[in-house]
Amino acid sequence: MTTSLDHRILDILRHHARSTIQEIADQLNESVERVSQSIHQLERNGIILQYATIIDDSKLTRRKPPIRALIEVKVRPERRTGFDAVAARIAKFPNVVDHYLISGSYDFLVMVEGDSLEDISRFVSGKLATIEHVLSTATHFIMKKYKEKGAIVGPQDGDPRLMITP
Amino acid sequence: MTKPFNRLVDQVPPSGIRRFFDLVVGAQDVISLGVGEPDFMTPWAIREDAIYSLEHGRVTYTENGGLLACRQAVSTYLSDFFHAHYDPHTQIVMTIGVSEGVDLVLRSLLNPGNEVIIPEPAYVCYGPLVQLAGGRPVPINTQSSGFIPTVAAIEAAITPATTAIILCSPSNPTGRSIPKERQAALLDLAKRHDLWVISDEVYAALSYDTPPVSMGSFSSYQDRVIVLNGFSKAFSMTGWRLGYVCGPPELIKRVIKIHQYCALCAPTVSQYAAIEGLKHAHKEVEKMRVSYLKRRNLVVHALQDMGLPTLVPEGAFYVFPSIEPTGLDAETFALQLLEKEKVAVVPGTAFGLGGDGHIRCCYATDMSQLTEAMARMARFVKGVMS
Repeated sequence: MTTSLDHRILDILRHHARSTIQEIADQLNESVERVSQSIHQLERNGIILQYATIIDDSKLTRRKPPIRALIEVKVRPERRTGFDAVAARIAKFPNVVDHYLISGSYDFLVMVEGDSLEDISRFVSGKLATIEHVLSTATHFIMKKYKEKGAIVGPQDGDPRLMITP
Repeated sequence: MTKPFNRLVDQVPPSGIRRFFDLVVGAQDVISLGVGEPDFMTPWAIREDAIYSLEHGRVTYTENGGLLACRQAVSTYLSDFFHAHYDPHTQIVMTIGVSEGVDLVLRSLLNPGNEVIIPEPAYVCYGPLVQLAGGRPVPINTQSSGFIPTVAAIEAAITPATTAIILCSPSNPTGRSIPKERQAALLDLAKRHDLWVISDEVYAALSYDTPPVSMGSFSSYQDRVIVLNGFSKAFSMTGWRLGYVCGPPELIKRVIKIHQYCALCAPTVSQYAAIEGLKHAHKEVEKMRVSYLKRRNLVVHALQDMGLPTLVPEGAFYVFPSIEPTGLDAETFALQLLEKEKVAVVPGTAFGLGGDGHIRCCYATDMSQLTEAMARMARFVKGVMS
């Protein structure tokens, strides 16, 4: 059971994961204790899974940015466990970064990350496609990222406002 | 040229905010809490619709009063969100921002020497526009009543020449809202003295603690209430210059008469974009409102923690703390804060009577900048007070 406070905290953390408990409490007009307790509970209940950072890898210079691919996977569901047992096998691979069951002409949409095209190809042909219940795969390499989790990638316009206005 | 310029224009004092603007513009790395507009871009759906209307050549004049579709959308919006009912054919006119609306209304109402009561601190245009319309602004100081005008203070300022009262709620610069009971009492006062009530409600949609109450929703006073509103604040459309005036048909006729000669019509692209905004942008507007609310809370806490007495603003995106504990006057405080900590705020004195000892901080700035600005201000205040 989540409370209205939980939701208001999550609204902030969803986009500003680095907000301090004090800042969140101030913004919501709540006590530090209540906010802290709520966050603790959300973490313990597996509602907050991770605090992550959205990065524009293309700007990094010291390392080659990772290659990503979206893979459509057709699956024959298992008798008793349906898609879930197959999904669990796929999701455990650390290079699978996102994994959804979707409606439409295929079953899973899997986002895979690797150091190179070969790396990903090896994973698809060697691991993913050979799983017993996987019928077929179609791999789409990602060429450019425009937006991720609500964040627009690329140069942002500065604040066009005048410094002082009535 | 030796001919004198217009006397009324020359009598209007220079803007207090302008002087401060010149100082800030030269400075580097300043965090400005001195702006009077949202930090959000106009919602993309609205901008996209404007592009579409340009592509389809909707670039001609509209009717003087504004596109009927736009007035209809305004009428529906006011009725749905504010329970204020205006006939789009006879009671609404689209203007070039609320500012033009104020000007048109004052020019429609005032005869030479008529007085207009303005509770101050107030938005900077009211007094000068009253003067330019040939009237006499009568400011009253609301500082002692928490920046909310009282019936007694306004009544004390009424003379046989008084024609109108201008109210702005939630207020720029204080963010305070007039509670509903006070609104009713003020309307009653206006009725007893046969006065117009000009109600600038451009910040109404940005109300945080209770739903906004439009002066236009008190149906028994509709013959003397003039509601001004627009798209700049709630829809983040400052540069689009679009507002509207709502009032009794006899007034609106006169407003349109002036508007048709001095402006012809409000910007066409903006009117098309506004229709899209009124119909489909409410979720975006609500998101912005919630975001301002969080920032308001953060800033109020921060200012109170600094030891600056701060009334909680019910709306808009301004907070108006007292800086009296520092012993500095408003201008000195603002100047020193700018020099020492590179944070720009506007001295309360720029907004007329009752602004002394206070500063206006606009919190429509991104959260990290805001947190940094509050940290810098806290350091400054601590330094001054120790």
